[in-house]
Amino acid sequence: MKVSEVPQDITYYEGEKRACYALNDKGKYVIVTSTGWNDEAVVNSLAVEELAEHLEETRKEVFAGTRSPLYYHMESRQMNPRILAKTAGLAVFRVKRHFHPEIFARLKPSLLARYAKALALSVEELKTVPEKRDERGNSK
Amino acid sequence: MTTELITKETLANGRTYIHRTSAHCETGVTSALFRDKGLDISEPMIFGIGSGIFFGHLPFIKQTGLPVSTFRSIPGLVFKKAAKRLGVKVFRKRFRNQQKGMDELRRVIRTGQIVAVTTNIYWLSFFPRRYRFNFSGHNFIVLYENENGFRISDPALLEYTTDCSTHDMERARFARGPMEARGLMYYPLSVNPDHDIRKACITGMKDSCKQMLKIPIPLFGVKGMRYLAKKVIKWPDKLGYVEACRQLAHILRLQEEMGTGGAGFRFMYAAFLQEAAELFGSEELAELSQEMTAIGDIWREFAVVSARIIKQRGQSEETFAKVGGLMLICAGREEQLFKDLDKVARKLKA
Repeated sequence: MKVSEVPQDITYYEGEKRACYALNDKGKYVIVTSTGWNDEAVVNSLAVEELAEHLEETRKEVFAGTRSPLYYHMESRQMNPRILAKTAGLAVFRVKRHFHPEIFARLKPSLLARYAKALALSVEELKTVPEKRDERGNSK
Repeated sequence: MTTELITKETLANGRTYIHRTSAHCETGVTSALFRDKGLDISEPMIFGIGSGIFFGHLPFIKQTGLPVSTFRSIPGLVFKKAAKRLGVKVFRKRFRNQQKGMDELRRVIRTGQIVAVTTNIYWLSFFPRRYRFNFSGHNFIVLYENENGFRISDPALLEYTTDCSTHDMERARFARGPMEARGLMYYPLSVNPDHDIRKACITGMKDSCKQMLKIPIPLFGVKGMRYLAKKVIKWPDKLGYVEACRQLAHILRLQEEMGTGGAGFRFMYAAFLQEAAELFGSEELAELSQEMTAIGDIWREFAVVSARIIKQRGQSEETFAKVGGLMLICAGREEQLFKDLDKVARKLKA
């Protein structure tokens, strides 16, 4: 790859740049910054959209009453039951039980506080899910 | 644009730290740590000496449900190997207790020693949002404490130093999950003044050849590439088109995105070979560097063709057979290259 071939397609890194190695006119390797590459954007947005899509489905399930808000917030933090259980310091089977809305509704405040801390949310946020789709999909 | 990008910072004990942009987090951090101790060494050199180049297909390790293919050695290994081969004594520690981990970090940076930490990208809010996936393996350097939390230098992402809040730092260092860092922090203690860089280069090259050619498991090195290439060709029939695209996209993300400097580290290795060629005055190494560049360009083409397939969802003329074929070409040429490199490295004198 030559310096002139380093992709400068899009301002993809939210204004940040990344660097890669490329050959200059004299055939020597130098480090060059890149603002982004379209082909990379394709695969990154595929992954981001997939997460967002999944989260949206979960959000609907919470409103339909088949899952608890805890499940939604776990997914929005890109965790799975195992990671959430470790972070909150609980057993996996207990965490999974709390994905049922009726069980989640009966949880003690101390346990809710524990989940809120693990997910870096307030207890109020933990009990509800957003009215609208989270467009950013990826994170808070 | 092509010149070095430098920002300066003053550390707790009044010393100056120079931030340089690099192409990959671990090698960039290692090179910055060593430079801080007075061992002036470039990022590609660290990559070559630490034998960072690799290929592995790991169907049993899943990231967001998809098998991982890696273009580099295990995170942390480059630092360890480079330190050993250059005679650098290092401090490396994980913590069970979060508070102790944070206290120790504060204590060390107060003395003016810069510290590298391993973190989970998801919790780093200075990262572009679309890159914040749950992945515990990002390294950066902590410089000193300030009113916002910590001043850090992330050579692989930013052209300048930035702030990281205490909350982000705690969550990122102690995030639970696969490959958890458990607050890993590391820094060099001392550099052996009469280290032998030529010997280190030779050891690094031989080790890389071994990793690429000699591991007797068909998932690693050149064999791993062939194995994966054959799988890629069969994907559309076996998994259906959509799933095949997902899997292919995942390979591409690991190849181009995860701070690889493009083409899955192949250009960085070519840069190393070029620097080594100058060091040894070896014509053969210079030729190998050119060959590595050519291989990197094929990997690049692989990415372009794959992205076309994924974007056009079956409308394009490109096929999975073609991308698999490109990967097989890479495998063949890399096999020859590492065989040649092994011969050349044996002839070099330390």
